[in-house]
Amino acid sequence: MTFQWNVIWENLPRFLDGALMTIWLSVVTMIIAIPGGLVLAFMRLSRFKAISLLAASFVEFFRATPLILQIYWVYYVLPAYFDVRLSQITTAIVGLSCNISAFNSETFRSGIVSIRKGQWNAGRAIGMSDYQIMLHIVLPQAVLRILPALATTWVSLFKDTSLVSIISVADLSYVSLKIRSETYRILEVLTAMAVIYWLMGYPQAKIVDWLHRRYKVAE
Amino acid sequence: MNNSKSTQRVGSEHKPILSFENVSKRYDTLQALSNVSLNVNRGEVVCLIGPSGSGKSTLLRCANALETLDGGKVLFDGAVVDVRNPSSARGVRQRMGMVFQNFELFPHLTAERNITIGLTTVLKLDAAIAKERAHRLLAKVGLSDKARSYASALSGGQQQRVAIARALAMEPALILFDEPTSALDPETIGEVLSVMKALADEGMTMVVVTHEMDFARRVGDWVVVFDKGKIIEQGPPHRIFEEAAVERTRDFLGNLGWHGESADDKISPTQAKKSKPIRGKNAKRKN
Repeated sequence: MTFQWNVIWENLPRFLDGALMTIWLSVVTMIIAIPGGLVLAFMRLSRFKAISLLAASFVEFFRATPLILQIYWVYYVLPAYFDVRLSQITTAIVGLSCNISAFNSETFRSGIVSIRKGQWNAGRAIGMSDYQIMLHIVLPQAVLRILPALATTWVSLFKDTSLVSIISVADLSYVSLKIRSETYRILEVLTAMAVIYWLMGYPQAKIVDWLHRRYKVAE
Repeated sequence: MNNSKSTQRVGSEHKPILSFENVSKRYDTLQALSNVSLNVNRGEVVCLIGPSGSGKSTLLRCANALETLDGGKVLFDGAVVDVRNPSSARGVRQRMGMVFQNFELFPHLTAERNITIGLTTVLKLDAAIAKERAHRLLAKVGLSDKARSYASALSGGQQQRVAIARALAMEPALILFDEPTSALDPETIGEVLSVMKALADEGMTMVVVTHEMDFARRVGDWVVVFDKGKIIEQGPPHRIFEEAAVERTRDFLGNLGWHGESADDKISPTQAKKSKPIRGKNAKRKN
């Protein structure tokens, strides 16, 4: 068996473009899914039953169905039934953002409810409104507490972006599989793909470990 | 009924700043308060004593609208405290400080920021003015050097002193203390009591739920004894501690090691922490 690693070197710029797309998708998704998750968490904590139920249904749908189905759904069902036509990249971002928002909302919610009642009372006792307490007292503490969980979600997201290759978004997976089908160098291409994902993913995983140690709740 | 025939209550020539009128509060099956009526006058230090679970802390939380009432009403400075009206409740709380058993400092903020946060967000004071006030108050509670410390770097006594400074910063008309020394190590109780004593000497109106009988007797102007959600007796400290009329009061004090004998009257509050017998027994009961 002979290897032809030159296939990789010749296509390196394409691999790197794919890697850039993977990073871009992850970043944009997270930028949307953090406020998105926060809004869903607040809705779910709302004292108005209808709002809370709406958010709960959204979250439970996206948490309990596979991401690949969600991406297909946005890609095929939205245009067919609702006449909403999105570009592939927009479709990918919408699908990923809904999914990650749902996960983030649960993370935020658990962080917010983990702040003990005494902190609310202390804020109230100096005359702060519930909104001010949430903004200045509860949320900052909650975010510190959930940083490790958010980082874990980020790492999953980074790998899960590979699923958007099914709708021809040119991320690292899509590009790799395309190069494979053009060159038939399966082993070389999959190895290169693994190496690039690992080179990007490993430092992130290490950062998550560090965050877990650094922000471990000490109380 | 509040005034004993021999003693004029502090500030009783004016209308009380805080009054509870037939206040009742239920938690499921527990009647936490039943028909409690009590007045607090301006400049007075009112100490609420009694066994754990007798309703003292619940009454404090009713005062600043942290609890809904099941009956009766609370009047602060002549106006009804309305729990269901958030903005009026906030107005009351702004002028009524509260110090908690577990300090409840904001752990993500420095001592200084713990004090200024209410000033900048609630009173909308300028940051520089707020900061200056924080430093003045930290000096007052003896913690000038801790402005930049977080709660995790402070002892319990220091945290509680910051919490007192935080309450003072709002320039309240009255401060509620909910067992302010119950969560403290014995060595740091004295420093907190000294700060409270100093406030009392300045004429601050204070309502103190406490198990520190020394403090209640020496600093309190009026002592109120609770049992099972009711006030069973109230009066000036010397009467409660030396000639309690109600047997349950005598039992309660007796269980704490108090037998109608006053300790040395001359002990200062800082030395008070060394008078072990009373608190020692009390601490064991609490834990």
